[in-house]
Amino acid sequence: MDELLLSSAIVLLAVAQVLQKRGAVRHLAGKPGTGGWRRALVSREIVGAIACLTLGTALWLAVLYRMDVSKAFPMLSAGTILVLVASRVLLGERVSPPRWGGAILVALGVALVAAS
Amino acid sequence: MSARPRSFGLAALATSIVLSAAGQLAMKVGMGDLHRIGIGELANADWAAIGPAVSWTMLGVASYGASMIAWLLVLARYPLSYAYPFLGMSYVLVYAAATQWSALAEPSTPLRAFGTLLVVAGVVLVSSTGEDRTPA
Repeated sequence: MDELLLSSAIVLLAVAQVLQKRGAVRHLAGKPGTGGWRRALVSREIVGAIACLTLGTALWLAVLYRMDVSKAFPMLSAGTILVLVASRVLLGERVSPPRWGGAILVALGVALVAAS
Repeated sequence: MSARPRSFGLAALATSIVLSAAGQLAMKVGMGDLHRIGIGELANADWAAIGPAVSWTMLGVASYGASMIAWLLVLARYPLSYAYPFLGMSYVLVYAAATQWSALAEPSTPLRAFGTLLVVAGVVLVSSTGEDRTPA
């Protein structure tokens, strides 16, 4: 149950990041003026990002209800790995080898904290 | 570029990191209290019983929200690759406070401390190297 709540919170918060980036690129990049912000705020991406962030935070509170914060918070960094994979696969960004190395360190750290 | 001095960006960065860590700690204090009281007490809405737990949680969520706003101010001034590694600091702050602050007094184990340090190193490496390009 702890694992399910924690992984759902991590996935939702990571999805919120990717949606924010998509929304910012699609509706704000290279479009000066305030109209872009208004369009961005009601766009599918940003509305979806806010929904994921809200639900993710609610699940995160449920995680903190059950787990030590010194254990749960470092594990939230697993979202970094998800965001990196999504940047490559969904957003088509180039990810350098040192960054993948960093993701592996994060994964190792999360595994140790999970075992603690 | 902004006409505001460089110190504004650094202040926003420090504010964001401290608020983010403080938010996690306050949320944990609130949810930990609620755990001790029993979540069923929420239904009774007896403020004398649940007030502190709810207040800590709300304070934590507000602090977390404020840290995101400060973070946006940071991103408006610095490249993500410069700013993001500093977020690793929040893991250190949360770990130190959660284990040392008597309100939480969480157990400190070598495994958890070492795992947290690996996470910090990974976060720094993920964000501080290479030149990624976003195709148009």
